[in-house]
Amino acid sequence: MGVTLRYPFVSIEAPPEYRGVPHIDPELCIGCGACVNACPPDALMRIDDLKNGTREIVLDIGRCIRCARCEEVCPTGAVKMTGRFEVASLDRRDHVEVVRLRLVRCEACGEYTDYTERQVVKALQILPEEEYDAEEIKAYSRICRRCRRKLSALGAIEASRRFAP
Amino acid sequence: MIEGADEKHVREVCERFGERIKRVERIAQNQWLLLVDKNDVREVVSYVINRKDWGETQLSTMVGTDERPIRGRFSIIYWLSLNGGEGDVFIGVKAYLREEDLSYPSVTPEHPGASWYEREVHDLLGIEPEDHPDLRRLVLPDDWPYGVYPLRKDFDYTDSPRREFTEEDKYPYRKPPEGTVVHPLGPYHVALDEPGHFRLFVRGEEIVDVDYRLFYQHRGIEKIAERRLTYDQVNFIAERICGICGSSHAVAYAQAIETAGGIEVPERAAYIRTVMLEIERLHSHILNLGLACHDAGFDTAFMHAFRIREPVMWLAERLTGNRKTYGMVLVGGARRDFLDYRKGLIEKTLKRLKEEFREWVDSTLSTGTFVKRCEGVGVLSYRDAKRWSSVGPWARASGRNIDVRRDHPYAAYRDLDFKVPVYREGDVLARCMVRAEEVFESIWIIEQALDQMPGGDILADYREIPARKEALGYVEAPRGEDVHYVMTGDENTLYRWRVRASTYNNFPSLPDALRGNTIADAPLIIASMDPCYSCTERLQVVDVNTGRVTVVKEEELVRGCCRWE
Repeated sequence: MGVTLRYPFVSIEAPPEYRGVPHIDPELCIGCGACVNACPPDALMRIDDLKNGTREIVLDIGRCIRCARCEEVCPTGAVKMTGRFEVASLDRRDHVEVVRLRLVRCEACGEYTDYTERQVVKALQILPEEEYDAEEIKAYSRICRRCRRKLSALGAIEASRRFAP
Repeated sequence: MIEGADEKHVREVCERFGERIKRVERIAQNQWLLLVDKNDVREVVSYVINRKDWGETQLSTMVGTDERPIRGRFSIIYWLSLNGGEGDVFIGVKAYLREEDLSYPSVTPEHPGASWYEREVHDLLGIEPEDHPDLRRLVLPDDWPYGVYPLRKDFDYTDSPRREFTEEDKYPYRKPPEGTVVHPLGPYHVALDEPGHFRLFVRGEEIVDVDYRLFYQHRGIEKIAERRLTYDQVNFIAERICGICGSSHAVAYAQAIETAGGIEVPERAAYIRTVMLEIERLHSHILNLGLACHDAGFDTAFMHAFRIREPVMWLAERLTGNRKTYGMVLVGGARRDFLDYRKGLIEKTLKRLKEEFREWVDSTLSTGTFVKRCEGVGVLSYRDAKRWSSVGPWARASGRNIDVRRDHPYAAYRDLDFKVPVYREGDVLARCMVRAEEVFESIWIIEQALDQMPGGDILADYREIPARKEALGYVEAPRGEDVHYVMTGDENTLYRWRVRASTYNNFPSLPDALRGNTIADAPLIIASMDPCYSCTERLQVVDVNTGRVTVVKEEELVRGCCRWE
């Protein structure tokens, strides 16, 4: 009996533990960039377009070393290693996967912030409501850092006036 | 007694040199740093190495660091290790050099094993070892400009300087001795398919002398890791230093950081690391034994060695998710646990491996042609092995009784029982014997580790790693001692990382093993060292005359192949 398989004419399945090509589920990704920070070879990139209000999480499997750190650090389970290992392609662009998400637009100044709509939703979900004033947090979350600082300062001035008019 | 010299050997060195040892610092359980004047380095280092009664002392690594941003000076450290039952001691001899005067007396005239290290700091940092017999370039390519030192902190890792290349800049190979001809070997090795250029000076069939040029694949990994990667990211690039013993490098690096940061690795993680390191040794040794057969013209045994080896690769794939780059190590522990079904897998694979490998060894060693081809070939004497600070099976086959696992226990080796095979013949056959015996020892180690494996966590929780801490991490890789030196830096990054792979200590002794043999045996002898070059992923052609860089595209490659055919 021959032991040589007629590969690539027969398909070969990797074992269940195999770390293959990673894939980002665009429905689950919130664009936080935890994977970008963990990725050793910069196969993942976070590109913000503050003019048009989009964030792109770009995965380039041509650079990926299949270490699965992205899968480990992803807070929503969006990044998963697949069993796929055949990545040869004649087009370099086949190696790139892009998730495009909307950035939050500041309700005070109208500029785009550096976090996504989905990040806000996720943050509000995991904040223990009993410890915070949920309404206030929700209102603040739609405002950019700079405006938030301004509002806090104004609030502090307002409060101090009450005690020392 | 100088403060800090609380160990027998360290105390003796301090007593011998008295005031000339300016400071002693114990930086880890088994690591001492002695600060001396740069003019005393040679004397102190050669005293420790040449002490007859201290057994198998050797130069484990040497580090040059640009410490100008923090201390305004350069520093050099010679790391010496005491082996062979003498005690678990690493002695670092450190000296500072001022930028105006970077010269110091070279150690090489006293201990040739220091030669490469000194050539390397000369290339990469511009440090000048005086009276070094051979200061030709070692690491840098021929068209690298003079006076540009890539490991200095003011050199950015993205820079790629060039210089006009002239005829005089060609690498100054040694002149062949009187009455000999040059027989080139390489730039690719016939069996290992890796780059290294040898010039055999031959008289008829006999090799009289050898010159070589290596480091064609120097990738500047240390530079990338300094500042550009975080502690946890470096594990993965460390794993990619070597195509075979990657896990050893990852563990050595992680241990260095753990020692520097005072992180305690959970016991279970230490056991998991041990098992992975031994699985790595299994496939590496069987691969090398197969290649030795291939180079000796015994291809049946080569095929069978690879058949036996393959299930080990499959096992690694099921345990870690990949055949080769395991990705199991993080600073502080391991990433994947060994679940019960995986234990069963290991046991099953090992049982079969043990039977098949015994059969393979019996049949190979009873094949007269193979044995005759290896016996008495490529002899490296004990004296040469010692004077080049050789390590691993290459040194053990020449009678050096050293093994990091036993002499400086790390991971779980303290709890495990194993033998260290040592042979005195120093020929290719002895190296094969050492490797074959080590395969059985590795199987035995894994069996014990599985039996004794404790429960608990596999990753330690740690917060911050303090800056400016120095430490060594060391592993007995399949090819011998791997030593990683780290100096921690700010913001979760390394200040200096010095990797010393085992082949670095073995390669310089190769000419001694080649001399007096025939050309036909040269590939076999080189392969029997199991040298570990590195791999390249795509083809980039640099024309040294014009400096034009071309990346060869797939179509061109196909076209080129057709044309040459």
